[in-house]
Amino acid sequence: MSKFTKEMVEDYADKLLIGLTEEESQMVLNEFDVIDQSIDVINQIPNIDLVEPMSFCLDDLEVDLREDEIEESISIEELLQNCDETSDREVEVIKVVG
Amino acid sequence: MKYLEKSITEIHEALLNKTVTSEQLIKESLEKSHEIQKKYNAFVTILDNAKPTEVTNELISGIPFGVKDNYSTKNVLSTGSSNTLKDYIPFFTATSIDNLFKKGAVMVNKTVLDEFGMGGTGTTGHTGIVKNPWNPLHMCAGSSAGSACAVATGVYPYATGSDTGDSIRKPAAYCGIVGYKPTYGMISRYGLFPFASSLDHCGVLTRNVEDAAIVVNTMKGKDKNDMTSWDSSGVDLTKTLKNDVTGLKLAYIKELCDIKKYKNADATLKEHLENFQRTLKICKELGMEVEEVSVDEKLLNSIASTYVVISCAEATSNMSNLTGIIFGPREEGKNYVEMIKNYRTKNFSPLIKRRFIIGSYVLQKENKDRYFFNAQRIRRLLVDEWKKIFESFDAVILPVGTGPAPLLEGSKDQIDNSTKALEEHLQVGNFGGFPSITIPNGFINNLPVGVNITGNCYEDEKVLNIAYQLESKMNYKNQIAKENN
Repeated sequence: MSKFTKEMVEDYADKLLIGLTEEESQMVLNEFDVIDQSIDVINQIPNIDLVEPMSFCLDDLEVDLREDEIEESISIEELLQNCDETSDREVEVIKVVG
Repeated sequence: MKYLEKSITEIHEALLNKTVTSEQLIKESLEKSHEIQKKYNAFVTILDNAKPTEVTNELISGIPFGVKDNYSTKNVLSTGSSNTLKDYIPFFTATSIDNLFKKGAVMVNKTVLDEFGMGGTGTTGHTGIVKNPWNPLHMCAGSSAGSACAVATGVYPYATGSDTGDSIRKPAAYCGIVGYKPTYGMISRYGLFPFASSLDHCGVLTRNVEDAAIVVNTMKGKDKNDMTSWDSSGVDLTKTLKNDVTGLKLAYIKELCDIKKYKNADATLKEHLENFQRTLKICKELGMEVEEVSVDEKLLNSIASTYVVISCAEATSNMSNLTGIIFGPREEGKNYVEMIKNYRTKNFSPLIKRRFIIGSYVLQKENKDRYFFNAQRIRRLLVDEWKKIFESFDAVILPVGTGPAPLLEGSKDQIDNSTKALEEHLQVGNFGGFPSITIPNGFINNLPVGVNITGNCYEDEKVLNIAYQLESKMNYKNQIAKENN
């Protein structure tokens, strides 16, 4: 029996604000045990817990602090061009507070 | 031979000699773009109003090129091949593309990718499937599918790509061309739509190694807008291409290349690995030493899973800015959460949703150590293993995948536990940020196959030098795709 349920899969999606159709939910559910077994391979390496996780490619990255200088930035009008609903120089959204 | 089927240096000379003009090249490239679009569906946008530029001493000046549609291009639709950004027009240009513009390069189209680069088949872009120009029943691979198809058919000498797992180097192999991703951070990622930031690389697809060096020479450079970019101003990738390779040492991995390791090997895999051995022979004829090395099979078999966990987890975070509120097609809803959810539900394709769900699953509190951190631990072990090889060898040479491009029909971009390490080993190049190049090394069933050379970080010149010399001893340099079937 699968260790996953439709509710679990939908919860994982919902946490990312993604909804699933019946078909999509079933597709993921059908595959999820295989996916889980597949990624579980990484837990079969001996003494893996002793290894420091690697989150970045280069081990010699030098980060310079930039000077605190005011730079020209893109105009608000330009930034709003891709927004479907605007009001003056602001993004219009549905009322949040009652 | 048409001008756009020539190398960058040859086209540049023709421009300087005035045997052709930038205007003529652009016209030719646009006509070819429309022809290729009809046949193989390689483009999201064709820029019919592209303007010629002045021909200068810069090699790429006046010459048309293509841009993968996950690079931001100011005032030009940039969709990431996703419905979530089907109407998105950036207000800035990616640094690497701007670097090309500054030297006079002319963008003529934006190329199709798997949605946000999250796929390896070239079949999941919102404008449809990209077909392989050697045989349209086969895939181009992905995610840089449109770029690979366009370069292979002679639309222009180069197009940009991006590579998170093997998204430049696999399609290059399937389309019979060159695909190069330099060391992580050599090219700024500013303006590249992020997929998995710790693995994402910018790079290029070309028809010969020298062109790859020329283009990346222009794209690269430290960028204040990408804190992971580094100063490579002292590096000229074209300078050492022609160096003698005598005495250089190459390693290949027994567990990936020995046909006896594959119990159910078909004739194609056998031929692919035999062809690889012939390529090794050429390396030896060039004076290089070639040796077989061993890597723990358990580790090799965990490459694909490590990639899936890290890339899906990072993607969930990177894609959280896709809300449809400040950009993208806005959806209705009773409140802002419902608006965002409706937008994401409607516009992400089922395949990308599946990857997000995997990402969400491995990041759950109860799973995070077991999956996400353990994947990062395996990442370190694999990178250490490759670095250990680089202590004794100049580069690792391996076949790309298990053979030529699979058929489109029946192909699924699904992740399952049967994936062979041979199919996915290029992902180690992303784990370690290694410079890595694929060049064509033959044909199987009338379809091209490729070989990959990967070196240690910052040793791009050596990797390109080896690739250049090997390419010069084979017959696949500058080839143009022709339907053989």
